[in-house]
Amino acid sequence: MTVAIQVLVLVMVLALAPLFPGVVQRTKSLLTGRRGPPVLQLYADLAKLWRKGAVYSATTSLVFRLAPAIFAGTTLVAACLLPLDGGGAPLRFAGDVVAFAGLLALGRFALVLAALDTGSSFEGMGASREATFGSLVEPGLFLCFAALAIATSSTSLTTMLGRPLAAVWTAAAPALVLVAASLFVLTLAENGRVPVDDPATHLELTMIHEVMVLDHSGPDLALILYAGAVKLTVFGAMLVSLMIPRGGLGLIVSVAVLVAGLTAMAVAVGVVEAVMARLRLIRIPQFLVAASVLATFAIMLLLSA
Amino acid sequence: MTWFFSGVLLLLASGAAAVLFPARPRLSERVHLWLSLAGAATALVPVLRVLAGGTVEGVRFVTGVPGGAWVFAIDPLSAWFLLVILGAGVAASAYGTCYLAAEAEHGSVPFGRLVFSLLLAALTLVVTAQSVVPFLAAWELMALGGYFAVVFDDRRDDVRRAGLVYLVATHAGTLLLFLLFGTWGSHAADLTFAGLAAASGALGDSRSLVFALALLGFGVKAGFVPLHFWLPEAHAAAPSHVSAVMSGVVIKTGIYGLLRVATLLGAPPAWWGWTVLILGVASAVLGVLWALAQHDLKRLLAYHSVENIGIILMGLGVGALGVAYAVPGLAVLGLAGAVLHTLNHALFKSLLFLGAGNVLRATGTRDLERLGGLVRGMPVTWTLFLVGSAAIVGLPPLNGFVSEWLVFQALFQAGFSRTPAELSVFGAAALALVGGLALACFAKVCGVVFLGQPRTEVARAAREVTRGYLVPAAALAAACVAIGLWPWLVLGPSVKVAALITGVPRETALELARPAIVAGRWIAVLAALGVVVSALLWWLRAFALRRTSVAAAATWACGYARPTARMQYSASSFAAPILGVFGGISGVTAVRQPSSFETRAANLVLERALVPLWRVLRAASVRLRPIQHGRLQLYLLYLVATVSLLLIYLAVRGSP
Repeated sequence: MTVAIQVLVLVMVLALAPLFPGVVQRTKSLLTGRRGPPVLQLYADLAKLWRKGAVYSATTSLVFRLAPAIFAGTTLVAACLLPLDGGGAPLRFAGDVVAFAGLLALGRFALVLAALDTGSSFEGMGASREATFGSLVEPGLFLCFAALAIATSSTSLTTMLGRPLAAVWTAAAPALVLVAASLFVLTLAENGRVPVDDPATHLELTMIHEVMVLDHSGPDLALILYAGAVKLTVFGAMLVSLMIPRGGLGLIVSVAVLVAGLTAMAVAVGVVEAVMARLRLIRIPQFLVAASVLATFAIMLLLSA
Repeated sequence: MTWFFSGVLLLLASGAAAVLFPARPRLSERVHLWLSLAGAATALVPVLRVLAGGTVEGVRFVTGVPGGAWVFAIDPLSAWFLLVILGAGVAASAYGTCYLAAEAEHGSVPFGRLVFSLLLAALTLVVTAQSVVPFLAAWELMALGGYFAVVFDDRRDDVRRAGLVYLVATHAGTLLLFLLFGTWGSHAADLTFAGLAAASGALGDSRSLVFALALLGFGVKAGFVPLHFWLPEAHAAAPSHVSAVMSGVVIKTGIYGLLRVATLLGAPPAWWGWTVLILGVASAVLGVLWALAQHDLKRLLAYHSVENIGIILMGLGVGALGVAYAVPGLAVLGLAGAVLHTLNHALFKSLLFLGAGNVLRATGTRDLERLGGLVRGMPVTWTLFLVGSAAIVGLPPLNGFVSEWLVFQALFQAGFSRTPAELSVFGAAALALVGGLALACFAKVCGVVFLGQPRTEVARAAREVTRGYLVPAAALAAACVAIGLWPWLVLGPSVKVAALITGVPRETALELARPAIVAGRWIAVLAALGVVVSALLWWLRAFALRRTSVAAAATWACGYARPTARMQYSASSFAAPILGVFGGISGVTAVRQPSSFETRAANLVLERALVPLWRVLRAASVRLRPIQHGRLQLYLLYLVATVSLLLIYLAVRGSP
C-alpha cells in the first residue's frame, strides 16, 4: 500500500515536472520587465514536438537515436530513488545514492556520445564542455552526499533525505545550510542554468547543454526536454527534502509542501537567472570547485561535532 | 591440486605445441588453441570448488632443500586471482591465436605463442605458490615471459625501448622482493609462507620495513603512481592480446602480492592504510588525467590501468583502515570492493584491449586523430567496445559499477564510523572525480574512434574483423554484463576472499556484508527497470515517428553548407578544456598554430624524473671508470679484497 502511494506521488511529480522550467522562465521574464511565455509553455512544446517528424543527419548512427531514450529512462529511474512523499522511495537499498549518481552519469554519457555521433564541431564543443563540467560537478555532488551520509549514518537516499534530518537540523544546522547551498549551485550547473550555461541564448558558441542537443528534433528532442525538466525537479526535490524535513507531516501536507518547495526553488533559479550574467567559461571550474568547498566545510563541521 | 597441475601442464603443452610443428602452422595453431582452452578449463575446476566454499587445497613437495618445502595451495585468495588469470587469460589466448596468425611479418609467431603460454602458466604458479623460492621463481618466469611477449615486434625501435624500460622496472621490483623476503626470512624458521606468517610477530620494528618493501616491490608490478612509468610504454608496444593480459592480469599480481603479504603480516597499523589510500587516490586521479591526454589508443587504455589500480588501492586502503580501527564491516566492504574490482578490471580492460586490437587490425593505426566513423564498418567491435567503455567508466548496469559502488559504500561508511578513519570519506569525492574524468575520456575515445565521420581513408575503408577476433571479446563483454545484471554471483565470493584477508571469520563477514549483498539484488532490479523504461520510451518514440515523416539531412552546422570530416572535434580539442583545468600536472603541452591545434602528452615520471636522474647517475659514474681497467689481475684483487672484508666483518661481529 505504501509503495503504491509512493509510486503515485512519483507519477504526480513526474507529471508536474514540465511546470517548473516554466516557472523559472516566468520569474526571469517578470524580473527583467517582460511578460514571457505562459507557465505551461513546455507542455505545449512537448506536445508539439511529439507530433512532429524528425530529421536525422546522415552521419549519425543508432547511438544518436537511442541516446534520448536512455537519457530520459535513466533520469526517470533515478527519480524512483528519491523519497518524494517525505517517507520513503519506491526503490531503496543500502548505497542507492551511488546508483542515483550512476544513472545520471549514464544519461550524460549517452547524450555526449550522441553529440559526437553527429560529427559536428559545434556539438563536439558542447559535448566536450558537458563532459568537463560534468566531471567537476561529480565530486561536489558526492561531497554533499557524503555530508548527508555522515549526518544520518546511512547510504540510502530515503534515510539521507528523510526523517533523521529533522534531528540533524537541531544539532548541526550550519552544516546542512552549507550542503543546501552547495547543492543549489550544483543544481544550476547540472541543469544548464545561469551562471554556468544559458538555456535562452541562441549563439551556439556560448552554450553547453543546448548546443550538445542541437541536432535532435521531433520526439527525440521532446524526450530530452522532458528529461531535462525531470532532472531539474529531481534536484529540486533533493533540495526541498533537505531544507524541510517532512517526516511528521501527513501525506497530503507533505506533497503540498514538496510542490510549494519545488515552485520556490524554480523561482529562486529564475531570480538567479535574472540578476546574474553567465560566467566566462574559464571561471566556471572555479564556481564548481566553490560548491565542493562548501560541502567540504559541511563535512568538517559534521566530523568535528 | 591434481586438476590444477594438470591444467598448468596442459598450458605448457599448448606452448610446446605452438613450436613443435613448424611445418604445419595451421595444425599447430589449432592444437595450441584447444590445449590452452582445455588447460584453463581443467585448472578452473579446483578454483570454483574453493570459491564455492570448499576447503583449501594444497600440496607440498621437494622437502629438505634450502629455503624449506615447496608448497602450492589454493585458498580463496589464490582461487580468486586464478579466476582473474584464467578468465581473462583464456580469452586473450584465443584472441591471440587469431591475432598472431596475421603478424608473421613482425616476429616469430610460434615463439610468440610459446611465451604467451609460459606467461599464463607462470601467472597461475605465482598466485598458488605458498613458499618463497617457488614464488620468486614463478615471479621471474612471469616477468621474463612478459618481456618476450611484449617485444614480439622487436624490429621496431620503440618496442625494444619499451621492453627495456619494462625489464629494468620489473627487475628493480624483484630486487626489492628479494630484500623483502630476505629481511623477513631471517626471522623465520623456513621460507614457506606459513613460516613467514609465524615469524611476523618476531619482526618487531622491521614489520613496517617489510610493508614498505612489499609496497614498493609489488607496486612496480601493479603500476601505481609514481611507479607506473614502465606501464604505458610496455602495454602500448605489445601485441594486443599481450596488452590485454599485461594490463588486465599481470599487473594484478602486484595487488595479489600486497594482499598476500598483508594476510601474512597480520593486522596493519593505521598508517599503512592511509598510505595505501593516498597512493590509491593519487594513482586514480592522475592515471585518468594522463589517460585523457593521450591520442594513442593503447597508451590511453594503459593509463586507465593506472587509474583502476588506484581504485583497487582505495578499496584496500579503506579496508585496511577498517582493520586498524577495528571496524570489521568497513574492512570487509573495502576489501570486497577492491577484490571485486580486480576481477572486473581484468574483464573490461582485456575487452577494451581486444577491441583496440580489432581497430588496429582493421585500420593499421592506433592514432585517435586518424580514425572516426568506424561504427559503420565495424558494428560488432563498436558494440563490444561500448560495453567495455561503459563498464570501465563505472556506469550501471555493468560490472565496473558494482565494484565502484562497493568502494563508494566503504568510503561513506568510513565517514560515519566515528573513528579516525572518517577522514577517508573525502576519498569518495576523489573517486567521483575519477568517474567523471573517465566518462569524459571514454566519451572521447568512443566518439573520436567510432562515431562521426572517418578522418582518413584507412578509417573509411575499415571492415569488420573475423569471428576469431570477435568471439573472445564477446565472451568478455558477456561476463561484464552478467556481473552488472546479477551482482550477487560475485558479491558472495568476493566477501569470502575479503574475510580471508581481514581475518574476520567467514560467517561474520557474510553477515557484515549482508546489506550490500541484499542491495546487490536491488541493483539488479534497478538495472532491469532502467533497461525496461528506456526500451519503453524508445518504443513510444518509434511509435510517434511512425505517424510522421523521418527525413535525412546533413548535420546542422549553423548554416554552413559544406561541413567536412576535418571540421569535427578531435581528440585533442575534446580533452583540452579538462586538461586546461588541471594545468601542469596533466603533462600536456599544447601547440597552437593559426590553422591547427595539437596537444602532446608526456610520461611525466619517466621523462621528467627518471631519465634525468639516470643521466646524472651516469655522469657521476664516470668517476668510477678508472677502477675498470679490463685487467684480470685487478678484478681478482677486487674479489679477494671483498671476500676478505666480508670475512673480517663476520669475524668482528661474531659467528652468524
